[in-house]
Amino acid sequence: MPDGSTNITPYLAQALEVSPTFAGAGVDWVDALRNAGAQCYTDHGLPVRRDEYWRYTNLNSLRDERFQLASADPLIGLPPLPHPSVSGLASYRIVLVNGRVQPKLCMLDGMPDGVLITDLGGILVAAPERLEPHLGRVVSLKDMPMAALNTAFLQDGMAVFIDEEIVLDKPVHLISITAPGEGAMMVQPRHLVVMDKGAQATLIETHISAAGGSSFNNIVTELQVAENARLNHFVFQGESETSVHLSGTAVALSAGAYYESFVLQGGAAIGRSEIRAYLNGPGADCRLDGVYLATGNQLVDNTTYIEHAAPECRSHQVYKGVLGGQSRGVFQGKTHVTRGAQQTDGRQLSQALLLSPRAEINVRPELEIYADDVKCSHGATAGELDENAVFYLVSRGITRPDARRMLIEAFLSQAISEISLRPVGEGFSTHIQQWLGSHVDQSPDGDPS
Amino acid sequence: MAMLEIHDLHATVDGKVILNGLNLTIDAGEVHAIMGPNGSGKSTLSYVLTGRHGYEVTGGKIMFDGNDLMQMEPDERAREGVFLAFQYPVEIPGVTSMTFLRTAVNAVREHRGEAPFDPMDFVKHLRKSATDLNISDDMLKRAVNVGFSGGEKKRMEMLQMAALEPRISILDETDSGLDIDALKIVADGVNAMRSSERGILLITHYQRLLEYIEPDHVHVLAQGQIVKSGDKSLALELEEKGYSEFLDNAA
Repeated sequence: MPDGSTNITPYLAQALEVSPTFAGAGVDWVDALRNAGAQCYTDHGLPVRRDEYWRYTNLNSLRDERFQLASADPLIGLPPLPHPSVSGLASYRIVLVNGRVQPKLCMLDGMPDGVLITDLGGILVAAPERLEPHLGRVVSLKDMPMAALNTAFLQDGMAVFIDEEIVLDKPVHLISITAPGEGAMMVQPRHLVVMDKGAQATLIETHISAAGGSSFNNIVTELQVAENARLNHFVFQGESETSVHLSGTAVALSAGAYYESFVLQGGAAIGRSEIRAYLNGPGADCRLDGVYLATGNQLVDNTTYIEHAAPECRSHQVYKGVLGGQSRGVFQGKTHVTRGAQQTDGRQLSQALLLSPRAEINVRPELEIYADDVKCSHGATAGELDENAVFYLVSRGITRPDARRMLIEAFLSQAISEISLRPVGEGFSTHIQQWLGSHVDQSPDGDPS
Repeated sequence: MAMLEIHDLHATVDGKVILNGLNLTIDAGEVHAIMGPNGSGKSTLSYVLTGRHGYEVTGGKIMFDGNDLMQMEPDERAREGVFLAFQYPVEIPGVTSMTFLRTAVNAVREHRGEAPFDPMDFVKHLRKSATDLNISDDMLKRAVNVGFSGGEKKRMEMLQMAALEPRISILDETDSGLDIDALKIVADGVNAMRSSERGILLITHYQRLLEYIEPDHVHVLAQGQIVKSGDKSLALELEEKGYSEFLDNAA
């Protein structure tokens, strides 16, 4: 086949080939959903620069290297987890290896009545009708081409249902391990969380790699937060630097619902977190915060889209990052306020520290407002460490590398301090300290790392 | 051997000559005051002594306890006992004053071969100095200098000096922007540091500070040189006559 046409829709052939064997195949709406993903991806192909949300993140490595869908159920144990304060937290643990839930590694005992935490693949077979009102309902395939590819491959992931007014007693901890073998491997996990009215839960995600070759992890997460429900969501992305990690999250909030997201990205050659939040009911409130750390040739992308579709909703975003080496950061944040969304309060802040003259940040904040009674703001800064501050610390006997690390940590701590669950904040802080310890200059002359 | 010997010091900032053959010797136990008009090189001297980037020494030498100060990095100088109280203390958002002080003190202690303080012991160690300087626990919990008044910032500088126990303290315009009550507290803080083991260099534009901290020697700095030295009566003379005599000489 000529290169031109393979470039349009790489990977789709694999999906079409194997999808008849997927869980839920033969169920009409499941087949239709997968076909819609395949069709949307066929029409669009891999994102390119002219796509609004992909202007700065180039996926050519996905064209150049042929990733093969991971084979089912590789038998590996749980590798050591980062952040003892997070992994030691009592939780309902659900473990994915290469995109497939590993029942033997999960710890789901003692789930209260009205709570279901399970594998999506199992429920696609056993009770697809439970998924039908939810799966594919929040994510917009035309806005998220990589979600279309994921939908074509839809077969497994995590599914969580929390019934009305239930306050989940422990966080759900999703541990996702990418364990490539010799060849280039891809996984296409799909997660769904459905919070009924007044329900409350915390979801923690830890994404790590086991040793191996290159991998491509294309995740889609759909979150439905019904009236007055609350969901706290903390994500750590620490995949290996031979990995491409693309995460697309779509969250729908009804009236009075609350969603808090914090994403710490420190891994992968290309790491992208895209969150699209739809504030559909009056008084919905969402916080999207994040910290990113990159060095070497890493690319780290945080893209957000917030749609204020109802009045009196609130959205706050704070993203802070540190870029060393020749790394590149991307922050794109769009706040869209529809005509009826009066008394919207939408705030956004992006701050990046560049530790090296060759590091780069692309920032694109955007406000699109069709209502006339709103408070919206955005701010973006990018710069180097303040030399006056460095000298002040150094003049007190603190070494230059220590002074730089203290200042970087202080810069990031203002974002980390927003994390509402203390052990997660502590775990993320520890990770940042370790990263700074190994990536911020050790040289006495203070050349940036 | 004098503690600090500055010999024929020349220095430039952005290629412009600021210090032009400065000589000064300070012995342990002495308090020196350098006075001079604006732009005479007072602050440059303080930054050259502490090794700030951009202040280039083009000639002369500085010996500190018999060692060549110019061969030391700024943090090494601080650990060896050189302290500068900044004219404009820097705000450090996100770092509490207590953490900052403890990190600095432990860096110095480690250099001296002493055991570092743990956080609880350090609070005790700091208590007396903090009380004397009227620095509350609340101030110590806040980020370094963030939201501090001018007086609070200068008192925090004095607390750092007390905690670090330097060999030589350089106070750059420490009196600027202080009302009389704050000035007294700061002066008491400096006087408490007077010792036969320690030198103090006061850099000031006005004589007022010297009413509260009595110097052993007073020098006039103009056009990058010490042009006149004397005892404390020189400060009063300057207060009366101003600096015009020294500015005219330069022409």
